[in-house]
Amino acid sequence: MRLVRSRTTQASVWRTLAPLAALLAALAFLAACSGDDDKSQPTSPTAVPLEHVTFMAGFKPQANLPFVGAYIAQEKGFFAVENLDVDIQHVTTPGDNFKFLATGEVQFSTADAASLLEKRSGDPPLDLVSIALIGQRGQQGFAVPANSGITSPRDWAGKTAGYKGAQVTPDYLAILAAAGVDRSSVEEVKVGFEPQILTEGKVDIFPVFVSNEPDTLRRLGYETRVFEAADYGAPTLGLTYVTTGDFLRQKPDVVRRFLNAVLRGISYADAYHAEAIDIVLKYAPMEQREHQLYMLETELEAAKAGQAEASGFGRQTREQWQKLYDFLTQYSALPGPIADISTVFTKQFLGE
Amino acid sequence: MMQANATQRIMKAFIAYVLPPAVALTVALLLWEIWVSWRDVSIIVVPPPSAVIERFFEEPAFFWREGGYTLYEATLGLLAGSAFAIALAVLMAHSRLAERTLFPLAIVIKVTPLVAVAPVLVILLGFGTAPKIIVAALLSFFPTLVNAMTGLRDVNPGALQFLRSLHASPWQVFWKLRVPSATPYLFAALKVTYPLALIGAVVAEWFTGDRGLGLVIFVANSNLDTPTLFAAVGVLAITGITINVILSLLERRLLFWHQSTRSVQ
Amino acid sequence: MASSQYHVSLRDLSHVFTDGRQPLRALAAVSLDMPPGQFTSVIGPSGCGKSTLLRITAGLLRPSGGQALIHGRPPQQAQRARDIGFVFQDPALLPWRTVLGNVRLPLEIDSLHRSRPLPDTEELLHIVGLADFRGYYPHQLSGGMQQRAAIARALCFNPSLLLMDEPFGALDEITRSAMRYELLRLWEAQAPSATLAPSGRKTVLFVTHSIAEAITLSDRVIVLSRRPGSLRADIEVELPRPRTQEIERSQPFLDYADHLRDLLTEVPL
Repeated sequence: MRLVRSRTTQASVWRTLAPLAALLAALAFLAACSGDDDKSQPTSPTAVPLEHVTFMAGFKPQANLPFVGAYIAQEKGFFAVENLDVDIQHVTTPGDNFKFLATGEVQFSTADAASLLEKRSGDPPLDLVSIALIGQRGQQGFAVPANSGITSPRDWAGKTAGYKGAQVTPDYLAILAAAGVDRSSVEEVKVGFEPQILTEGKVDIFPVFVSNEPDTLRRLGYETRVFEAADYGAPTLGLTYVTTGDFLRQKPDVVRRFLNAVLRGISYADAYHAEAIDIVLKYAPMEQREHQLYMLETELEAAKAGQAEASGFGRQTREQWQKLYDFLTQYSALPGPIADISTVFTKQFLGE
Repeated sequence: MMQANATQRIMKAFIAYVLPPAVALTVALLLWEIWVSWRDVSIIVVPPPSAVIERFFEEPAFFWREGGYTLYEATLGLLAGSAFAIALAVLMAHSRLAERTLFPLAIVIKVTPLVAVAPVLVILLGFGTAPKIIVAALLSFFPTLVNAMTGLRDVNPGALQFLRSLHASPWQVFWKLRVPSATPYLFAALKVTYPLALIGAVVAEWFTGDRGLGLVIFVANSNLDTPTLFAAVGVLAITGITINVILSLLERRLLFWHQSTRSVQ
Repeated sequence: MASSQYHVSLRDLSHVFTDGRQPLRALAAVSLDMPPGQFTSVIGPSGCGKSTLLRITAGLLRPSGGQALIHGRPPQQAQRARDIGFVFQDPALLPWRTVLGNVRLPLEIDSLHRSRPLPDTEELLHIVGLADFRGYYPHQLSGGMQQRAAIARALCFNPSLLLMDEPFGALDEITRSAMRYELLRLWEAQAPSATLAPSGRKTVLFVTHSIAEAITLSDRVIVLSRRPGSLRADIEVELPRPRTQEIERSQPFLDYADHLRDLLTEVPL
């Protein structure tokens, strides 16, 4: 609001009052824009208002890197420094976090990159935007028992492969294609989430999260070999931080502050693994320390894959997203097209 | 002399009530242990009882504490669900129209699967204790309703006629005849609904998990930690059995007059 | 005769039950006038409507034809005034209450019982022979004792009308006979006793299957025909009171018994 200096004798009075009036007007404007944020505290005229947001992790509490970033930002005060009051939640039914984002109850969440593209191309498309790409490689892998004699995807022929969900994933098909294996030579079986299905020999090939089940199985005495689609040329990507396009437009400053804090948290975890796990265990008291440490270390590696080490955590390029989009489209994994891939992500808060 | 009698009575009670199930349980556990080792069952599929017991005794306080949370949620849910069911039963016992209107709705509650309801409740009520209490309440609701309705109606017709011949008001009939007549049924319902409420709380904890045996089971399952999982289940079982024993003892005291609590002559 | 002279007046009483698949005619035009203090038995074959008659008299059932009057008014009024005592074949004691608790139940229902003098509950228990059992629960008592408690219960609020529907029907022969005389003792002793009926003997309408019982107890025996029950005979029993076991062997008693037996086994009209 531009101030106009009056030339009348009331100018000096106005001069004193005007900045105050301007600030009050700005505050009124902010209050009006904050919508369902009814927890605003009264502020002194000179402080940035404390922003209340909710971050919902896309799974149960554990050492997935985006979760770790939030946990550490909370515990080490990185949120507080950005004047953010963050409520950290965890989704109960996978997928519900998108509902909460849509209704505005949650402002930030996490999403697998492929999952994000799926939701963006659905009917109706969800208004989600990736603000940082933490996992520079995909999370999926395919585990076989170490002593099974399966040393390359070519050995998958004639074996039984399990798939979770409705059908096999593009990652799986990409591996078969890269190895030149005829899909009909592999028996595909729908399985549940229990890794015992693999160890009891019900299937030869079992889909896993590379930072999770292989380690759990190893600790129980079951060595596995894991195949990742990225090793066979597939442009897979991992977890992202997401928000809604609406929120991005309304409060870009809050998004910036949030991302600053969580990326700082991830950097901190990179430097202090043990302390990071201490913090994770506060949120997940029943989890096992060693396993959580493995998860963290594996995901940190995936977060630095490619050129991310140079550009910092969260780096995302149009090329990465376009390649993933093309890959998923090639395997008919998306419900519909996305006209402009650049609307799916934003780099505006990532230092380059 | 008196002390000897009391000791004798406790010994007798022990031999009669504790020894048989304990022996049966021990035999079952032994067979389980033998089977696991003979068939070389992987520990991540079925753990041997020795591993489960060992795991339990590593941290008994932990299991009891989490069990306490679950029991708390289950009990609150049970009280809420039973209270609502009894109130509805009183209404339906006095009005056939109310019964025709409301009973089908009650059946809807009964047949809705728990795992479908729990996530919806979380979305509506947020996280925390409320969804677990509601799930436990929902499971306790129907058996209590049916039993309360039957109990309120199952009055001695002679006693009812006698009260009517005295021009007793419906209120008097309710308090002096129907309510006491219903208590055996309510106890029967309680023996069914308490375990259900426990299960409800556990399942709800899978969806909202912040604490409780449900969370222990959930996390242990995802870590393939079967000894912990089975230990948690064991604690649940012990809790359920203890509650049943307490209820039976209470029933024997309060319902001494009812033929159900007296052994077959 | 003015109906108010009689304690109970049944005028052309008939009843049809319509809640079943077919209408059931239970009673057909029964008329009866009972002066106060009279002991009347009603006897008849099974299903002749004896119980229905009693329930209508108690105001528990509205007759489909005719009317029942107590002191010249509908039975509901006597009910409201808690002036009717009812005893059934099933003692119907409340199992969660002691004998004393059960006997005192009517006093809890009727909080306005100050309006008439009441028997002392302790003495009442003593008179029915249950003084030592006041703290016992029904399941600890024999059938006969439960029935005695039920009788005490029906008497504790001093109603002037007693309706009894085969109260000894579930008891064995010996107990039944003993209870018969107990009841007689209770009822016959009333006139001078301030405990039970300071105002005089109670009017009793007593339903039974047993001829001997009817004759021993009553001043008057009503015989109902087979269903639908109608009045077949109305017999004055002119035997001296107090009634004793010897009287049961006397000739007049046996004559009454023969007569009643004939009435009951005759082919109905």
